[in-house]
Amino acid sequence: MSEDRFEKLLGPYVQGELSGSEERELEQHLEGCSDCQADLDDLRHAHDLLRATAGGPPPELKEWVMARARNEPRHRPAGSWRLWLPVAAALLVVAVLGVGVLRMVSTPSDGLALSATSVAPQAGGELRGERIGDNLRIELEAWGLPEPEEGEYYEMWYAKKGGGRVSCGTFTAQPEGSTTVSMSAPASAVAYPEIEVTLEPDDGDPGSSGKVVLEGSLRDLQAGLPTDVALTRST
Amino acid sequence: MGYRQGVRDAGDEDLIALVAGGDEQALSELYDRYSRPVYATGVRLLGDTQLAEDLVQDAFTSVWRSAASFDPARASFATWLYRIARNRATDLDRRRRARPRPAGEHGLYAIPGGPRPEEAVDAWDVAAALSSIPSEYREVLTLAYFEDLSQREISRRTGIPLGTIKSRTTAALKRFRQAMANPAPREARGE
Repeated sequence: MSEDRFEKLLGPYVQGELSGSEERELEQHLEGCSDCQADLDDLRHAHDLLRATAGGPPPELKEWVMARARNEPRHRPAGSWRLWLPVAAALLVVAVLGVGVLRMVSTPSDGLALSATSVAPQAGGELRGERIGDNLRIELEAWGLPEPEEGEYYEMWYAKKGGGRVSCGTFTAQPEGSTTVSMSAPASAVAYPEIEVTLEPDDGDPGSSGKVVLEGSLRDLQAGLPTDVALTRST
Repeated sequence: MGYRQGVRDAGDEDLIALVAGGDEQALSELYDRYSRPVYATGVRLLGDTQLAEDLVQDAFTSVWRSAASFDPARASFATWLYRIARNRATDLDRRRRARPRPAGEHGLYAIPGGPRPEEAVDAWDVAAALSSIPSEYREVLTLAYFEDLSQREISRRTGIPLGTIKSRTTAALKRFRQAMANPAPREARGE
């Protein structure tokens, strides 16, 4: 075997990828070649560094990051959010979810009332699901949301009990108060069945403010609630 | 295929400029290169894998939203992203402190510092070094070390002959080692 050939085997050697005979031949060569031994030490160090940093986030997290990017408008100058949402305006949001969530919906006409919170007790909302091919199209209609302050906006989230929340995207509304926003989410949305609409400050913080104005659960879509279920209003 | 290869071959600063123009493939490539060190930073500083995942999501959302504000004259992309991640980790830590903690939950790691700080620092250096080597070398190392593929599996996945994969692995490890030994001038990360 040539010197060049031995050198090319050093990488697979540190990875344990050589056959038994290749390994024996290389090790015999290393006993008499200080240059290859020095190279081997270098490559072992590189190998150890790469192994030490191999751990990372779960693969499906990337889908969420990319979905969130797709759902956000681009070229928004910092601090320039203008959310025209007069009181009692309706906000219609359409989210497309993957196969995992589809399994949670028993019939395409099920509707789900969203519950208002103390942040906006006069608000209400409704979720509807419709099957489109292998996906589930979720339609969210909301009304009575308070007019945001300067620099505030609404954001819709998929969440799960016990922590973990993924953004579907942020929305604006036209002054006349009715907006439809299409959003997408990956099939792994089945792990985040809770729906939240929050009021967010435009402070550059991508995390949730925790100020939930409407909430509900996709699990309840399985309950066969009638279509156009009555709005939920706090008294 | 041509454009995708161009994205793979681009440097970090070129990619962030593409992200500023709304290029999702560029964001995807930066995520592939740097999600691991961001995650490692989250685990190190927050001691919680769920929060570390939140950190990854928030950090790359910030990258998407504020790409236009990146100035290559002030810092490298890796340093800029590190500062975003660290600041976001501080926010997440503050919010977690405000919530009642279940009994038995580990104490919070101090910021800065914490256990084995050199691990997360190495992850950033590794990511930056990988980002700087030719894409064909980065590919064989990423598939071997981050997707845990054997050389035979890499050959099948890429369609490149096994013998070429073996020699390319050696060359890739050498280039990576050189990049680690001769990094770009290191800005203070503010650790």
